[in-house]
This record gives sequence, C-alpha cells and structure tokens, in this order.
Amino acid sequence: MAINGHGGTDSGQVVASEAVGRGSGAGRPGEGSSGGNLLEINDLTVDFVSVDGRVRILNGVSLTAKKGEVVGIVGESGSGKTTLGLAILGLLDSPPADIVSGTITFEGRDLLKLNADEMEKIHGTGMNMVFQEPLDSLNPVYTVETQIAEALKVQRKRQGSPVTHEAEGETRKLITDLLRNLCIDKPEEVLERYPHELSGGMRQRVAISISTIEKPRLMISDEPTTGLDAYVQNRILGMFSAQKKVGETLLYITHDLTIASQICDRIYIMYAGRVMEAGETRSVLQKSLHPYTSTLVASVPQGFDDAPPLAVQLGEPPDLRNLPSGCKFNPRCAYAKDVCKETEPKLEEVVGDRYAACWRVDKELGKFS
Amino acid sequence: MGSLVEIENLTVAFRSKRREGFFRSGPSLKALDDVSFTIGENETFGLTGETGSGKSTLAKVLVALYKPTSGTVRFLGREIDYKKRKDIAFLRQNVGLVFQDPVRSLNPSLTVKEVITEALIAAKTIPKKDYDERISFITKLVGVTKDLLPRRPRELSGGQRQRVSLARALVVPKRLLVLDEPTSALDVSIQAQVLNTLKKLKSELNMSCLFITHDINVIKYVSHRLGVLFYGRLVEVGDTRTVDTEPKHPYTQSLISHVLTLKKVGLQETVVSEHRPAPSGCRYRIVCPSAFDRCAEVPRWVNLGAGHMVSCFLYDRQSTKENGTILQATAATSVDSRAKSRGLQ
Repeated sequence: MAINGHGGTDSGQVVASEAVGRGSGAGRPGEGSSGGNLLEINDLTVDFVSVDGRVRILNGVSLTAKKGEVVGIVGESGSGKTTLGLAILGLLDSPPADIVSGTITFEGRDLLKLNADEMEKIHGTGMNMVFQEPLDSLNPVYTVETQIAEALKVQRKRQGSPVTHEAEGETRKLITDLLRNLCIDKPEEVLERYPHELSGGMRQRVAISISTIEKPRLMISDEPTTGLDAYVQNRILGMFSAQKKVGETLLYITHDLTIASQICDRIYIMYAGRVMEAGETRSVLQKSLHPYTSTLVASVPQGFDDAPPLAVQLGEPPDLRNLPSGCKFNPRCAYAKDVCKETEPKLEEVVGDRYAACWRVDKELGKFS
Repeated sequence: MGSLVEIENLTVAFRSKRREGFFRSGPSLKALDDVSFTIGENETFGLTGETGSGKSTLAKVLVALYKPTSGTVRFLGREIDYKKRKDIAFLRQNVGLVFQDPVRSLNPSLTVKEVITEALIAAKTIPKKDYDERISFITKLVGVTKDLLPRRPRELSGGQRQRVSLARALVVPKRLLVLDEPTSALDVSIQAQVLNTLKKLKSELNMSCLFITHDINVIKYVSHRLGVLFYGRLVEVGDTRTVDTEPKHPYTQSLISHVLTLKKVGLQETVVSEHRPAPSGCRYRIVCPSAFDRCAEVPRWVNLGAGHMVSCFLYDRQSTKENGTILQATAATSVDSRAKSRGLQ
C-alpha cells in the first residue's frame, strides 16, 4: 500500500493544473527556498460580516508549506489561527465570512476557485483537519468503529482498492493498532462506544485517528493536544513526527510554544490576523526579532518559585473591531516608537529565511535594535 | 512554619451507578484513597497528576462540596466534622476557591461588582459600609480596573474573568486559596500575567495556596512543595526543587521526563499505554518498569529526608533486605533511565 497514495482522480487533476499556481507572490516567506510548495497562501484577507459591520479576521496572510514539513501557526486566541485553517479547507461559511482577496494554492490548484464537488474530492485524503472540539466533529449516532472505518473506506476507494467484506477483519486490526498507538489501552472496547461515552481526551484521539487513517497529504490540526496529559500529548506529537517522515505535511495550530518548539520545522507567529514573524522554529524562539515573539517566549514559566516574575507587558489581546493605528502590537509593546503608532510595518525578510513585521528590526544589522 | 491544613488518610469514594436488579452492584470508585499531607502557613502546595487522578476532588473536599468517606481534615488545628453546619461554614469562611473555567464559574446575569459583592454578602463577616473599600482594595490588587466593575462577564476576556474569580475568592480575607487549574484555559501571555498576580498576592496577603494543575512547568514556578497524585493515591511529596530534580517514584520520574520545555530537544519516544490503575497494592504497578512481587501490597511511606516522602517499595529499606541485590539493581536502572531522559535537557 502506497503510504502517500494519491487518489486516482485527484492525481490526474493535480498534474493537469500543476503549472497554474506557480510564480505568484515574490518575496513571501519560504518563496526563496527550493520551491515545490505543497501549500501556498498569498495575501489572504478574510472579513466577517455582521450587522455591526465588517471585522477583519485575517489581514494579508502569506504562508507556505513544503511536502513533509511541519509548520506551526502560533498565536493567542483571536489571532486568526483557526480561521486560517478553516479558510484553507474551504470551510468558512459565507456569510458571515467574506474572502476579500488572496489565493490559496494547494498542489498547484487555487482552492478558492474550485467548486464544492472538486473541493470534496480534496477533503479527507488530500487535506483534512483535526478540530479543537472533538465532540463537534464526531457523529453522535455512530460508534467509533463505524466512523473510523468510514474514513478508511474513503481512503481505500480513492486509492483504487476498496475495502471488501473479506478484508474487514484486517480493517479492524488496522484500527485497533492505530488506537493502541495513541495510548488507548483497550481499543476493542472503545470501538464499540459512541462519542458521548468517551472522555474528552479519548474523543480527541479518535478524531485524530480518523484524520490520520485517511493519510492526507496535508493535515491541519487545531490545538489537538489541549487538555490532554503529558504522556498522551507526547505520544500524539510523536505520531505527527512519524507522519512527517513519510512525507505528510502538517499545519500545526497552537498557542503553546513548548509544543511548537518540539515538532515544528518553521513557525509563523500571528497577532491580530497578521503574521508578525516567521522562520525556522529554533531561530525564531531563540533569537526572536519581533517583541511580540519575545513576549510569548518570556511568558512560558521557567524555573522554581523563587524565579523572578515573568517578563510580560500588561494588556489584553487586541479587540479586532477596534484595532490601534500603526503596528497592531504597539499598545502592548515596550519598544514602540512614534512610527509604530502611525504606520503599519510590512512583513519583510530580515536575514536568510527569517521574516518580521517590525519597525525596530534593523534589516542591515539583521536583528532587533 | 506551622501547619494550616492537615489532611490525614483522606478517602473519598463515589458509589457506582451500575445496578443489578434492585441493588447497586460494582465496587465504589475511590477518587481519593488514603491521602495525607499538610499545607503550612504562607506556603504554596502544588498538587499534580493526570486527568482522573482526583486533584479536583481534593479541592472540593476543602470547601465541603464533597464530604470525605473517611479520614480527617484539620484546618487551623480544628478537626472539621462535615456533618456540622458550623464546621462547614468555618471552612468556607477561610478557604477561597478559583475554578478552571472562568466562563462557567461567573454568573452571566450579574455585573462584575455584583459578582464580587455576592461573596461579601454570603460571608456576613464584613459590615455593609466597608464593602466598597474592600472591593476597591482587592480589585486593585488582582488587577481588575475600575471600568470593568459595571460590565458583565461575557464582555470580559479570559484573563480578566479569571482575575474577577480571584477577586471574588479573596474579597473576604481567606487563609487558604484553592486554585483548581486556574490558568489552563488561558493564553500563555495571560497565564503569565495571572501567575505574576498570584505571586504578588501571596506576598501581600497572608495566606496559603493549594495550586492544582497538570502543567508541571506552571506548578514548578509557583509552588514550594509538590505532591504527585496517581489515581487517587499520593505517590510522592516533597520540596518542589527536590521532586523535580530528583524524582524517586517511578511514576514521578516518568511524568517529569515527559514534560516539554522550550530548551529540551526531542520527544520521549517510549510507548506508554493508557494508565490503568491496579485494583490493589501499588496502583502504578501495572505499567511500572521496576515492579516486583511486593508491589501487590500497598507501599508504605518512606521518608527520604527533608520532608521528601515517597510511597514506593524501591526505597523501603525493609523490603530491600528481603529481596537483596536484585531489587537494588532495578532501582538503579530506573534512576539511570531517568537520568538518560533528562540528559537531553
């Protein structure tokens, strides 16, 4: 069985339209490197329209992910991480969502131009998502086994080897092995249950197993380990790392820098619907260019009770309906200058493959000054 | 440092709902089993463990939301009789509780000021004319600004809500503040602010804290002493620094080695099956790499010095004698493997 198998119809279309999406968006993060991006988002702007007016949730977000790469999207709640994930999958309901501008290119095809049928063929085995709230993403009237088996059937069918009746025993073994791999102790018992009979952590793992069994080329996971114990979390992260080795791309949405530092190759730091900083994970966290990134790093508790207070500026996350002028982080920033309050900085390459949107970053020196 | 709270052999059992015919069948579930520890004056005691280990049950016993099945809770030297209203009132007067979910723990139809005032009315110990003074004192301390007072909880952000919870818990002076996962629903930058506030509060108000969380990084940062729960049983208690740097119980060792930090590189690749507690004896023995025959009994507490206590036969001298060298070898390997995993830091 091909591990990264493309569905019959899918791969045909991919080849046909391979050349279309290339070449746009010069100077965007990741553009300079070898190319062959699985996912390319350019200048994506999304508004939510309500009776109170328009609220800009994403503002000119550009992002790339190569095959076999784990890309982290890190930010506080309300920074637009989840909206970005939903936009990629085409799951934003319109209204209220309104995609104002931008392109999302997946395997060379502009997803925003596809119709519902074409999109459905990509969903599941092409790309899928593990949602934050597993109870909402599982069907309450089917058992766990039915739901995982359904995903497996779709995957096999698209691969051209449908699950036959004879193979059902083998299917079951595959599913139990997968659940056992996710630290579920008695998978046979869990398979018989309905989602409401499982604990939150267990449900989350079932949701993850549904996503992984489809072997997508791009998996988006939205805070999949929130509320799970350290063991299970490590196990899931380990599994994601293993998927990366077989060439699956992972977009990992989280607010937890410690997790991002463990599994992500590159991270994008988001704030108020904008990318503030992007680059290789270790260098972003160790030599942060943007003051917001430094704040996030400083917020992680380290040391014992006699350690000094955590170095964070006071202030609450931004209100998207009422953003400040200039750099959106300036009210919480300790280094804000006049220019920060007047004009918004653009995301620019500072040093090799490191991007930051900050006036205080000196491009010539290649660091914060 | 005298003890503020002394908990001795505390057991809380929940009856099984399963029925067979007319009678309840199935064993009762012991959420807490023979738990003993103390919290000193002005001390922050951290309690950690995974989901279902009984952390929250303990918090609820301390404000008499649950009653102990057996065992005693002594508060300020007074043994609490959970059948007496007076004792429960005494406990609630002195213990404040902050819940995990700042959305569900605040009444949505009240303003912030009303939420805080409610606590004052319920306490009955502060004259009405002092309410405003008390409220402005506490809100300033926890960082709830004046303009938030007339708002309702839904208009606040998560961090602000948790501060309001803190203000409500502390507006009547308390001796003990119980925090049940107070920051796990918050963003890291907000969590950092709340943790800073907590530290400031502790130095300004004369009180002890029981801090409950599954996040070891957080608990290390706030607590003086640390207790580790595994399925209702306390397996290790000691000074936070000692427990973190030299964990003794195999469970604590494995727990600490799985903690992710910004500096540590590489995940633990060991396959841990879902923790299933053993029905008898040491609860951890099913998954414990160093388990041996004697673990079928309930291990005694072993004092390793300086208040570091562990409930494990590996450190029980008496059993060492009986089992001779083999046992010492297992103890050594488990410590070695821990050292290896920590060497990654």
